[in-house]
Amino acid sequence: MDELQDQQALLDLVKDLVHRLNPNTTTTQFAQSLKYATRILTSRMTPSIATDEAAMAESIKRSLVNEGNSSDALAFADLYTKFTSKSGFGSIKNKWAVLYLLKVVAEDRRAANKSDSRASSGLFASTVCGGLPVVFDEKSSGAKKTLDRSRSGSNGVLLVSKDSENLWEIAAREYVDLVREESEVSEGVLVRDVLYACQGIDGKYVKFDKNYDGYVLLDSVKVPRATRVMVRKVCELGWLFRKVRGHVSESMDRFPAEDVGTIGQAFCAALQDELSEYYKLLAVLEAQANNPIPMVSEAGNSGNYLSLRRLAVWFAEPVVKMRLMAVLVDSCKVLRGGAMAGAIHMHAQHGDPLVQEFMRCLLRRVCSPLFEVVRSWVLEGELDDIFGEFFILGQPVKAESLWREGYRLHDGMLPSFISQSLAQRILRTGKSINFLRVCCEDQGWAVAAEEAAAAVGTTTKRYGLGYGETDALEALIAEAAKRIDKHLMDVMYKQYKFKDHCLAIKRYLLLGQGDFVQYLMDIVGPELSEPANTISSFKLAGLLESAIRSSNAQYDDADILDRLKVKMMPHGTGDRGWDVFSLEYDARVPLNTVFTESVMGRYLRIFNFLWKFRRVEHSLIGAWKTMKPNRITSNFLTKQEGSIKFQFVSTLRRCQVLWVEMNHFVTNLQYYIMFEVLEVSWANFVDEMDSARDLDDLLAAHEKYLQSIVEKSLLGERSQTLCKTLFLLFDLILQFRSHADRLYEGVHELQARTAVSALSSRGRTKTRQKQNDDTSWGGGGRKALTKLAGEFLQTIGQDLENISKEYSSTLEGFIGQLPMQQHVDLKFLVFRLDFTEFYSRLRLGK
Amino acid sequence: MDPEVARTARESLDLAFHMSNILDTGLDRHTLSILIALCQQGINPEALAAVIKELGREPPPKPVVP
Repeated sequence: MDELQDQQALLDLVKDLVHRLNPNTTTTQFAQSLKYATRILTSRMTPSIATDEAAMAESIKRSLVNEGNSSDALAFADLYTKFTSKSGFGSIKNKWAVLYLLKVVAEDRRAANKSDSRASSGLFASTVCGGLPVVFDEKSSGAKKTLDRSRSGSNGVLLVSKDSENLWEIAAREYVDLVREESEVSEGVLVRDVLYACQGIDGKYVKFDKNYDGYVLLDSVKVPRATRVMVRKVCELGWLFRKVRGHVSESMDRFPAEDVGTIGQAFCAALQDELSEYYKLLAVLEAQANNPIPMVSEAGNSGNYLSLRRLAVWFAEPVVKMRLMAVLVDSCKVLRGGAMAGAIHMHAQHGDPLVQEFMRCLLRRVCSPLFEVVRSWVLEGELDDIFGEFFILGQPVKAESLWREGYRLHDGMLPSFISQSLAQRILRTGKSINFLRVCCEDQGWAVAAEEAAAAVGTTTKRYGLGYGETDALEALIAEAAKRIDKHLMDVMYKQYKFKDHCLAIKRYLLLGQGDFVQYLMDIVGPELSEPANTISSFKLAGLLESAIRSSNAQYDDADILDRLKVKMMPHGTGDRGWDVFSLEYDARVPLNTVFTESVMGRYLRIFNFLWKFRRVEHSLIGAWKTMKPNRITSNFLTKQEGSIKFQFVSTLRRCQVLWVEMNHFVTNLQYYIMFEVLEVSWANFVDEMDSARDLDDLLAAHEKYLQSIVEKSLLGERSQTLCKTLFLLFDLILQFRSHADRLYEGVHELQARTAVSALSSRGRTKTRQKQNDDTSWGGGGRKALTKLAGEFLQTIGQDLENISKEYSSTLEGFIGQLPMQQHVDLKFLVFRLDFTEFYSRLRLGK
Repeated sequence: MDPEVARTARESLDLAFHMSNILDTGLDRHTLSILIALCQQGINPEALAAVIKELGREPPPKPVVP
């Protein structure tokens, strides 16, 4: 009933209107007009533009201004404000409609007035509006029949009523109709679907296509191709988003399995933050998407609606960021730890400031665990790396190999913004702290670390450093390294007296303390001539003690003397004591970082060599003692007859010549070894020790020192043949010694026998002083003695001859091989040995 | 009718009439009131404007004579 009443009321109103408009018509005309009016009214039920009151008022004002009536415009504005302020009962509810009505009527009137004077109107009016009215006037009746609006959009009568300003509206309306025809899905729905797609959710029309690997509009949906392409472009963001989010959730799932390390987690956290920013944007856009999209919009409507094109513009920046994140996700799928940080850093080398800013924030987050580990390692020596992501690996070792093997660099995990030298310094600093803590039992490093941190400006607290502050990191590490190294060196030198120990080793193991060595040799010598398995090391230890006490060594530091021990090497059956005897120095923690087993082994080798050499020298000197010209031998010489005497003299002479040769060799070699090799190397080593700044330097210097000694004293690998020759020479010298001993023993024995026989034959001769003794071989036993002496001297002479030959040839070989050695110092040895070029000429002469 | 409501209505009509005069629409007060009433009912203003234009012309519509 209400509806009927409304309709009736409407009809009444329309009748009234018609009557008012055409007051002077007849009833038939009135009926016709009424019919006509209703037709018009029913044909257009919805307005063709959006209901926006403010925009309408604006447009009216603008048109007034354009006509030059700014005062009118102001008045209108004033009225309009008052008009809109009216609300409540009795006010006009559909204000927009009223305004629109007024506007259109005014325009129509203006158009009607203008069309009378065609010259005054603009181009549009004459061509568009001017032309059509003409058509209308001529075919007024016919045109009226085309009242119904056709789908083609050419609203003949009604279009004519618009003037030039409405051209855009005309075109827009046509377009709108076209669009509506073409698409069965409105743009608003599509936009909402796309928004869902960009969050990874399938919408009604936009779904994720696995074959195509992207979000596409379903083929079943009929949309213009341009829209389809646009949807696909905008949905790229959805694909990227899926990738990134997939990685993040995957990492979260894998986390308990401890496959994803701290850096991976930090990366995921940073990605999550970016994604939440993105969600915020999407939320805003979704709110906007709920506003209807105006199909034809007058310029004033800049309100917040969302079309596909607007969406594309909004997504421009997020797409760049999302693309970056997807690239990073791809490259970091298989990486972990420092390698991941390095890979991300490589991607950050980009010129675009947006990218740089983004990457900087991301990297800051990602590298914070890494920097934290570095900081705690450098300042506290703590290596807290559960997931194995740090570029320093530690392994549990004994205290003595802590320095060399306890920690090492793992290049795979080294990020690219930390250089190799910096990494080495980081390693060394942390190692020093651990070394101090474990081996030296020293806590002073904490102070040093504090100072270092204070000097740089950061604190020793957590998270003081971040990515992008590589300079600060380097400064911190430099400071920390400097101080801690210095502290370590102080501890080594002062607390553990490293230098003193080195010197002690040199004096005892390298036989630098001459008087001690001499005494030791004297008392230990006879012991060592026994077979090895009969010697007791306790006895030797006792002998060592007495040797120490009777030489200057007793004034040395007790701690050092404590460490000096006798060591019997494992021996076979045929060995003599000489082969297995050695001294050993017990370097305890922390010094055994420097003096490791292998180092001590090398010292041992050098000691053996030197000890052998000393033995040879000792025996030669011993031979000299017996060879001193004394009364016995000279008497022996004077009192004998021809051939024996000659033989005797020649043997003796040969013996002496040989001795001199050997002595020459031994002395020069001794000098060379003692001074040119040992002392020089030691001086170099001391210099380097003083200039060493950290333990690595010290180790290197010591290594060099030992290596130079080994090489120069012919113990190196290249000099092996030479070494063998040398040992042969030593053996020959020892043999000579025994021969010489035998010779002189024999001489003395013969002497004693003649003396006895002389005494027995001429007993009354007073032998007050042996030198005045009138020894003659008188008596009956003389012939026998002579024969004996002759034979004896013969054998001895032969032996000496043999030895002499062998010796000369070996020595020549030795000297001949020397110049071919690499080391330049060996040339000095040649120089000394062959000063007068005696040997080389000998060799050339052959 | 409530005097308040009546007053509001009258004032609104006055304002609309003033605006209409500024825009030079040629509508008088009574016609305007009818038009406003029609708008309130929901009629398309474009259609109303068309009606006004058509029926406001001097030449009457061609009589439909069968």
